[in-house]
Amino acid sequence: MNKSKFGALGVYTVLYLAFLYIPVLFIPLFSFNDSIYIAFPLKEFTLQHYVDMIERKPLINALYNSLQVGFSVSVISTIFGMLAAKTFTKYHIPGTKPLTAFISIPLVIPLIILGISLLTVLKYFDIKLSLFTVGAAHTVICIPFAMFVLISRLEGFDKSMEEAAQDLGETPWITFWRVTFPLAMPGIIASLLLCFTISFDEFILAFFLGSDQPTLPLYMWSQLRFPAKLPSVLALGSVIFLTSFAVVCFAEWVRRRGVQTQTGAAI
Amino acid sequence: MSDESFISIKNISKHFGNVRACDDVSFDIRRGEFFALLGPSGCGKTTLLRMLAGFEIPTMGEIFIDGQPMAAIPPYERPVNMVFQSYAIFPHLTVAQNIGFGLRKDKLPKAEMDKKVDEALEMIAMAGYGHRGADELSGGQRQRVALARALIKKPKVLLLDEPLGALDKKLREQMQLELRDLQREVGITFVFVTHDQEEALTMSDRIAVMAAGKALEIDSPVDLYEKPKTPFCADFLGTMNFFEGSVDSIGGGEAVIKTAEVGSLKSKGPNMDFSTNDRVMAAIRPENIEVAFEQPSSGSFITGKVRASAFLGDRAHVYINVEGRKDPVLTAMQNMDGAASQMSGQDHTVWLTWSDEAVILLPQDAS
Ligand SMILES: Nc1ncnc2c1ncn2[C@@H]1O[C@H](COP(=O)(O)OP(=O)(O)OP(=O)(O)O)[C@@H](O)[C@H]1O
Ligand SMILES: [Mg+2]
Repeated sequence: MNKSKFGALGVYTVLYLAFLYIPVLFIPLFSFNDSIYIAFPLKEFTLQHYVDMIERKPLINALYNSLQVGFSVSVISTIFGMLAAKTFTKYHIPGTKPLTAFISIPLVIPLIILGISLLTVLKYFDIKLSLFTVGAAHTVICIPFAMFVLISRLEGFDKSMEEAAQDLGETPWITFWRVTFPLAMPGIIASLLLCFTISFDEFILAFFLGSDQPTLPLYMWSQLRFPAKLPSVLALGSVIFLTSFAVVCFAEWVRRRGVQTQTGAAI
Repeated sequence: MSDESFISIKNISKHFGNVRACDDVSFDIRRGEFFALLGPSGCGKTTLLRMLAGFEIPTMGEIFIDGQPMAAIPPYERPVNMVFQSYAIFPHLTVAQNIGFGLRKDKLPKAEMDKKVDEALEMIAMAGYGHRGADELSGGQRQRVALARALIKKPKVLLLDEPLGALDKKLREQMQLELRDLQREVGITFVFVTHDQEEALTMSDRIAVMAAGKALEIDSPVDLYEKPKTPFCADFLGTMNFFEGSVDSIGGGEAVIKTAEVGSLKSKGPNMDFSTNDRVMAAIRPENIEVAFEQPSSGSFITGKVRASAFLGDRAHVYINVEGRKDPVLTAMQNMDGAASQMSGQDHTVWLTWSDEAVILLPQDAS
């Protein structure tokens, strides 16, 4: 009974993992395949697609656009998220619940609706579409994520830390920089990474609000029509895949260190 | 200001919604004194301490420290420092950085600051621990670091919120002594919160006993113990046998109390501000009751039967059933020459006697 149950679960687990990861693994696999067609059997091993990728100006431009937007969005969202998180955890102001709900609304509005409504507003005020408008839209959807990540971090450490700093003569502002900020660091890094990731692969808002400077997802999508250009997109995909893997590992490492110092502190 | 009212708490109330955490509290704390706030959980001790530190704003009333009104002064400008119950050691800093945290504003040259920190480490017997991470410390060490971090600021008042609560019994007793010595050495006024009556009795010059947001009595440990003025204090500090009754006659430092349970009781205790027919509690400490196995030849006594005894090593608590009384009478005896072992059997008939001075009269309604 027990054994057969485990067997079924085991099969389920294997299938699940296969469904999750095999398609993803095809990307690096075919990026080294000396053919423009994504099809078995595999041909020779090659690095040509990677060379193409680097030489392809528009692709590199799109990557640069995405990085620019991603960095700005993650920093700005994290700052706003921090302000909100600080307010909600520190002051027991009435209406905290409805306010948090209000801020998280962008999470539940379908992106396509959000995209159309933002576009309407921008058009109404005659604001030119650009990377700025894309970034602004991404910030709107990232702030709630940043806020929740930071709220959970700020709630995680002892409130008397901040009081102790004030007790020792520091104003609330200096207290923030000497105590709150370093203690919230793991949360801040998590928030930066999360917001960056969200912005980096966001398609719908970038599609509606973007201009002639495409972000990477838009550019990749536009290249799918040309089979010859697909392999270099795969090469880029592999690089991004590897980078995000490294980044996630790094984030996890930071988080664990944070948890360690935290449990060490609680006695 | 005068040394008598170095800290002056005037009609302080603090309400959290419907909860009256502090309710019209007024008392003064002397300069250089070790002052304890003692009371059961939830009676408002922490709230009062936090109002002294400036973390809570009184709903009503005023606080003066060294003659200065505190109302408009934020926590970071008050001449007080606090040792938090959780110690609040900064986990991202080393021990030395923790201790030196409050010195930033003094803008000292590095060498001088290091010297001060080293001295502080010396004071708490932790020289050489400066480079340790805050998470590599034991409970007792964290407590000391918190203490050094606050004292290095040379505050006028040090506030301590159950600083020994997290320590085990042995370490706690050791720290009680160390803290007491330290306070004498630095001469700073200590305001110390605890719910442990023994701790308050051992350490403090004076104790404010709090209950339900009120400061019931403020006195020295000895006077609180020997001359309590409310049944609550009498019961909270140590243990007490209460006999309900009414004043039959009073005058000339003597009173006779009529009780339903044990007949008439004579009192020559400390409180004599009653008049005939007042409802009172006659209270007798267990250690003031003498237990005899034979009927005493003179004086007043009551008889009872041993119900149970609790052996505590150096002394024993003996519970004695007295006819007509629901709760047993508690007596305490020193275990000299194995006296406690005589009590081990049950159902002995015994005679209880006490001196008239040991009978303390307390008002009934206050509890
Ligand atoms: N920030 C707050 N909001 C609402 N109620 C509070 C707050 N702080 C304290 N109280 C209430 O005020 C009362 C007194 O609390 P306080 O913390 O002063 O008690 P205490 O004497 O320190 O108790 P303990 O020995 O358990 O620490 C309690 O009923 C508590 O629930
Ligand atoms: Mg408390």
